[in-house]
Amino acid sequence: MKKTIFAFLFLTLLAFSVGFSAEGLHFDAPLFITSGGQSPGALQMMVLAKAVKLEYVFEKILPAAEFDPSSFKSAMIVVGASGKGLGAAGIDVDQETERVLGIATLCQENGIPLILVQLEGAARRGPSSDIILDALAPFASALFVKADANEDAKFTTLGEEYEIPLVLFEKTTDMRDLLKDYFF
Amino acid sequence: MRKNLVFSLVLLAVVAISFGVTTGQSAASSLGMVAAANPYAAEVGAQILEMGGNAVDAAIAVSFALGVVEPYASGLGGEGYAVITMSNGEKYAVDFKSVAPGLATYDKLTEDGYRISTANYTPKGTCVPGVVAGIQKIYDLGATLPLETLMEPAIKLAREGFVVNETFAQTLSDGYEKLLGNGFDFLNEGLAWEEGQVHKNEALAQTLESLAKNGLDDFYTGELADRIDAFMQENEGYLRKSDLENYRALAMEPLHGTYRGYDVIVPHAPVSGPQLLAILNVLEHFNLSAMGWDDPLAVHIIQQVLVLEDVDRRSFISDPAFYDLPTEGFASKEYAKTRFMKIDLTQAIDPDTYFDHVGNPYPFEEGATYEQVMLQEVAQQSLVQEDLYESPSTTHFSVVDRYGNAVAWTQTLSSFWGTSVYMDGFFFNNEMGNYASSYRDWDIINLTPGMKPRTTICPTIIQKDGEVRWVLGTPGGGRIISTITQLIVDLVDFGMPLDQAVKAPKFVGYSSYKDLRMEAGFPEDTVAFLQDVLGHDVNMYGYPDLFFGGPNIIAVEEDGMIIGAGSIRRNGAASAPEK
Repeated sequence: MKKTIFAFLFLTLLAFSVGFSAEGLHFDAPLFITSGGQSPGALQMMVLAKAVKLEYVFEKILPAAEFDPSSFKSAMIVVGASGKGLGAAGIDVDQETERVLGIATLCQENGIPLILVQLEGAARRGPSSDIILDALAPFASALFVKADANEDAKFTTLGEEYEIPLVLFEKTTDMRDLLKDYFF
Repeated sequence: MRKNLVFSLVLLAVVAISFGVTTGQSAASSLGMVAAANPYAAEVGAQILEMGGNAVDAAIAVSFALGVVEPYASGLGGEGYAVITMSNGEKYAVDFKSVAPGLATYDKLTEDGYRISTANYTPKGTCVPGVVAGIQKIYDLGATLPLETLMEPAIKLAREGFVVNETFAQTLSDGYEKLLGNGFDFLNEGLAWEEGQVHKNEALAQTLESLAKNGLDDFYTGELADRIDAFMQENEGYLRKSDLENYRALAMEPLHGTYRGYDVIVPHAPVSGPQLLAILNVLEHFNLSAMGWDDPLAVHIIQQVLVLEDVDRRSFISDPAFYDLPTEGFASKEYAKTRFMKIDLTQAIDPDTYFDHVGNPYPFEEGATYEQVMLQEVAQQSLVQEDLYESPSTTHFSVVDRYGNAVAWTQTLSSFWGTSVYMDGFFFNNEMGNYASSYRDWDIINLTPGMKPRTTICPTIIQKDGEVRWVLGTPGGGRIISTITQLIVDLVDFGMPLDQAVKAPKFVGYSSYKDLRMEAGFPEDTVAFLQDVLGHDVNMYGYPDLFFGGPNIIAVEEDGMIIGAGSIRRNGAASAPEK
């Protein structure tokens, strides 16, 4: 009995540490990666995709008008607003939101699943990031979220509201395993 | 996150207990004190004091340690300046500013398809690093322990690791794209180091070990110099072994001024020592202590003086080896009277006219009075405002030992992460960004091989009757002198305790800023008065904001108690030996 309880507790802890694995969720490459807010998160995602040898194209600030959905089987927007990043790009958060909404709309119209990622955790949560997130959530097929970014259950609530599978992870490096799990 | 914070505190506590040091945002002790931008570095200094080392020993150890735990703000590839006062009365200003390499000219940049701004984050942006030579010079002046002993804590931190704090993580996040390009090996398998993670730098540990074993001169004339030369050539940088071989740190008498009966001991040009003295000379004419720190008139006066002397700085501070500068005149009490006369207590100077108000300290070089000078015609020189971005980078630490020796030490890579170019565990500075963007025949900061770039750092020691009272300094680019001035006024004029002076909200007077930038925390009426009555365009920042610097400072009370305060804007700490 004790062994069963311990095994159950262990498996539960394991599940919590890696996140709820959304049953049956799978995505195909090539993957399009862009930033939603111009924080460094999208660049880090590119590094991760490269590390697991996932076929991808990364464009930090591609205008929606230049996005060709026919070239991709899935898309990923890494959400995180950075004042520095937006400033360097010469845009404000409203313009960035409009850009990524355009991409999200094209994905939806062309049947391309869109994954929203929050990679940088609690340090990258804030009003500007939430503006972008709230705008994109209705278009998302999945949410991949660093667990400490969800302390206020924001992503849990979005997942429930829009019926989007939510996958939580503890460390940025865990994303490597998630990419392998959901793309290969 | 909470787990990692607890782990970090436990780790620090274990270290503290093992070495018998006390560490916190502020600390008090009669046995010595170190205030630095990172608790690990502050503790290293306190450990050295605990072992029987003096302030110079501790400062050297802190310098090395900061290069490990704050690799974005200083390190082997950087430069700096230190002001030292010894209990035997000796005083030193040690200049280990970088110099432009022999190949660094505007023509060469143009030929290679670059401007200073585009070279800034490439190997071309590096000037000859001075930190290692500076450490050697300071060691020779007053250290008592073996150099290997002073380097050991930094080697251990690099090898065994330390917990990444919020400032480290945020600064890395801000610089991630550059680091991905130039400093990939520094990253965590290509990803950003996050708060709470343990960061190790084996490459830096090995470099430091090699320097400890072979001598610091290995950086300038030995195998490390050869590797730097090869790296720079391979990566199209301008730095060569010949530049390293020719580099010298300089030790001299510091510049001396007074403020309300206190002796103010500061560095020379090309950093902002003369400017600080000029500012204090003007402020002495105002009865600031009759106002409060948050009195809009006090804020106005200080800000206007800061602006005027910043305008002067751009004309009168550069490398004295290359320009005949009116330093004595600039820092004179008589010159200050002409600037005092410029302050309008009813209205802020129109920011569009800042550069019409440059002064002329040259006639005061030979001791002329202000009446004599002002009765003559003064030629005005036109200045073009250079809108250089100045980040809150750089780091400062202060050390006082139980014997009365004191060190104020500021070191930097220029921007956070410098060029972001990484080799053998350290980053190269991007001091080239501190020269004029293009040649101007009237300018005094044109890029010239062998010349030191002008910067705003100002490590400062204040004495009263020959005894150390305060050891001050801060990072913060163009905000450095504003923050140091306010610290001095808060301590001297408003009698603030040290901790309060560090925490008091700050503002900036800087000729590149047309607005009055203030940290939140001033009363609403103060801000309204500044805007509506005095005509300032107030731009309010949050509190605390790293933009306004990160002073790590020490006070020595009259009863001998030494108080240290670390920066609240940058996770700083004060640490003291317990025996």
